Amino acid sequence: MKRKGLRFYLRIYFKILAQDIKSKMSYRADFIISTLGMIFTNIAGFVSFWILFRSFPSIKGWSYYEMLFLYGFSLISLTPVQCLFDNNWSLRIYVYSGDFIKYCFRPINLFFYYQSEVFDIKGLGQFAFGIGTLIYSWNKIGLACTPLMVLKIVVFLITASLIMIALQNAAAATCFWIQNSFYILDLVFRFKDYAKYPVTIFSPVFKFVFTFLMPIAFIAYYPSLVILRPDNVPVLTWLSPVIGCIFFYISYKIWMYGALKYNGTGS
Amino acid sequence: MSSIIEIRNVTKEFKVLNRREGLKGSIKDLFSRDYKTVTAVNNISMSIEQGEIVGYLGPNGAGKSTTIKMMTGVLEPTSGEILVDGNVPYKNRSKNAQNIGVVFGQRSQLWWALPLIESFRLLKDVYQIGDKQYDSIIELYKSLVDIEPLLHKPVRQMSLGQRTLSDILAAFLHDPKIVFLDEPTIGLDVSMKAKIRTLINALNKEKNTTVILTTHDMGDVDALCRRIVIIDKGKMLYDNDIEHLKSFFGSYRTLKIRVDGDLKKQSEVIQKEVPDFAVSADDEWISVLVDEDKKKVVDVLSQLQSSYSIKDMKLEEISSEDVIRKIYEEGVE
Amino acid sequence: MKLKKYLTLTRAGIIESLQFRLSMLVMVAGNLLYLIVIYFLWKAIYASADSDVVNGMTFSDTLIYLVLATALFNFMEMYTVWQVGRDIQSGKIVLDLVKPMDYRRYIFWSFSGAFVTNFFCTFLPTFIVVAIVTNGAIHMGLNLLYFAVSVVLAIMVNFSIDFIVATICLYTESIWGINMMKQVIVLLLSGATVPLAFFPDTLRNVVDHLPFQAIYNAPLTLLLDGDPDMKDVCITLGTQLAWCVGMFIVSKLFWKHSIKQITVNGG
Repeated sequence: MKRKGLRFYLRIYFKILAQDIKSKMSYRADFIISTLGMIFTNIAGFVSFWILFRSFPSIKGWSYYEMLFLYGFSLISLTPVQCLFDNNWSLRIYVYSGDFIKYCFRPINLFFYYQSEVFDIKGLGQFAFGIGTLIYSWNKIGLACTPLMVLKIVVFLITASLIMIALQNAAAATCFWIQNSFYILDLVFRFKDYAKYPVTIFSPVFKFVFTFLMPIAFIAYYPSLVILRPDNVPVLTWLSPVIGCIFFYISYKIWMYGALKYNGTGS
Repeated sequence: MSSIIEIRNVTKEFKVLNRREGLKGSIKDLFSRDYKTVTAVNNISMSIEQGEIVGYLGPNGAGKSTTIKMMTGVLEPTSGEILVDGNVPYKNRSKNAQNIGVVFGQRSQLWWALPLIESFRLLKDVYQIGDKQYDSIIELYKSLVDIEPLLHKPVRQMSLGQRTLSDILAAFLHDPKIVFLDEPTIGLDVSMKAKIRTLINALNKEKNTTVILTTHDMGDVDALCRRIVIIDKGKMLYDNDIEHLKSFFGSYRTLKIRVDGDLKKQSEVIQKEVPDFAVSADDEWISVLVDEDKKKVVDVLSQLQSSYSIKDMKLEEISSEDVIRKIYEEGVE
Repeated sequence: MKLKKYLTLTRAGIIESLQFRLSMLVMVAGNLLYLIVIYFLWKAIYASADSDVVNGMTFSDTLIYLVLATALFNFMEMYTVWQVGRDIQSGKIVLDLVKPMDYRRYIFWSFSGAFVTNFFCTFLPTFIVVAIVTNGAIHMGLNLLYFAVSVVLAIMVNFSIDFIVATICLYTESIWGINMMKQVIVLLLSGATVPLAFFPDTLRNVVDHLPFQAIYNAPLTLLLDGDPDMKDVCITLGTQLAWCVGMFIVSKLFWKHSIKQITVNGG
């Protein structure tokens, strides 16, 4: 048996992806409605953002455009979780019905196999919105655009994505232990909406909670500091790529542990 | 010669929640829960040779799927030892998976949205099947069943029978040493059942694949298995040739009749009429378990017909449940 | 007795939701966390504003409004569209249609059990916490009664709208897209994300003539008004009632028409 490295998995992933997109395109109406739904969601997000900050010039020293920057940043960093890990939403249904077992018989990584099954193309719309917002606010704030800045933002976007993915994995994995874990997943999903606010507005206790326990502050706030407040970047921000990887690894382990444990009890 | 599957004194226990009943019970459950231990598989041993087709029978909840999950590496036994082709499945799930194929009757493992041929191509990559081997197995499939019309159809659009067929083909694709078939013919019509049995037989002959088959359908057992293992309540009841088992159930058939009046009462009367055979009643039918060595079914029918007005009747072959019940009640000797 | 068979469904619903002990804990904890986020966010917003009263609402008004809007959302959102959509796709709907009970009623009453548990487990605790945190900002008087009446009407308006959207699922497979659009539109236009008082005038004008404001804005406005004017109360409740009846009729007719269409065409 040959070794199964990254190349092996990438190859399989892209094959499934290509097939999946092909078959999704054949359900045109569904594709259009879903895309519309996604666009609506984003427009509604903008509208409420706009209505909210129309009445207030700034919040704790963060200007309207800086807030918009955070918003755009969070939209982009939420794209990978939307596109690549959307099958987490169905996990609870597979587990509940017992169908989850069907993923356990292949000679490849269970987590990979499960997540590879769904690619959510709608997330790309959100990505476009995010990029647009980011560029718009970037211009309005008057930030320079050097290769170093671009590199920084790419690195920190990846970091932020990893953390969101980790949160969602862990939340989805709870269904291996408790039934009806939808609420947990939904909770995390809703909390990510608050990732776009600067964590400084919270009291120290919750600043701690949102930094370490439910690390949504890493989804937009800490990484954005590198661009928006370059003179005053906390150590935590520089550490966040490492933290992102660690969180992701932990969530992966929890997921896998849950999957095997669940099979041990399910009938 | 060493066997392909070796199971020694395997036991599996589960902890399950005791739920209380009613509204009050539900509220109580909120605050305190009590668990009990259930032994799903109790000290089972068997060894299976390469190329055998083994029928693994037992009523629902007997421990069949638990055993299969342990053999496939999804579950770890509480105690005892399992070796599949020399591997401990649980410790090496991925490696073990390369050696086995699994089909669950009603749960397709294929990619739902993809045409069958694309699923096959993906599996070719997943199992790292060489081009030559892949082509030859597809050729073999083409010679055995008419798969052309299926190949370009997405799995979600297939009928249950077509899906099961596809799943079986997918399970044999990487030429595994063992294939586990869980209720492969459940819910299928007679001609599809026959088609699937023929296919399994042919693949077993061609590839010398070991097949472990769980089923409730004695027709499957008759058509496929030489050897039968019966399990009930986690304990092994029987492990022997089908010929030996046939002496148990071969001559038994169930005669079902419908008569006027209260079926329960009538069945008691009929029991007196045919004291040799077990008579029982449900909401619709009175069932008489006839031993044809003692008396032909037609004779029993005509005997009953002379004293009762029979409105409707049907004849059933004995089901695996009945066989197991008989074995359980009477012992194996 | 006719009501009895419906109450049986309610009871079954209560038992079913009580089975999920952890999910309820999560729901309560989630609401509290959410409350905290909203608290800090709006405190920061108000701290940055020039005056204590923005758009006619004080900080405590906004806090009560938004937190209770979320609590109401959790309490009312029964994922009807998902449930009906899934029933339709799996074909289970056929089984439900032959039950000796109108399908719409059957769905409503099956959910009624969850209404009861959700009321005690999420809405009430949240309400008490908000009342304590805002230190008497919720006036305890007749307005509570109006609020209660208004919530009942809101539940019915919400259910009718949900059911109209769910009926659309008979025509398309895109449950996700449909549901997403509905949720986004309802939450934004009903004032659940941002109080309607913050909306710019033109938008406000449009929103006031839509049924959505009857779901969240109406009951919450009634609750916040410590010194209710009988005329205003009557107008608000009257409008709600009108929407309730209107939407009920529309949803009923739409469902009847669609089902006929489907059965005739053999869907």
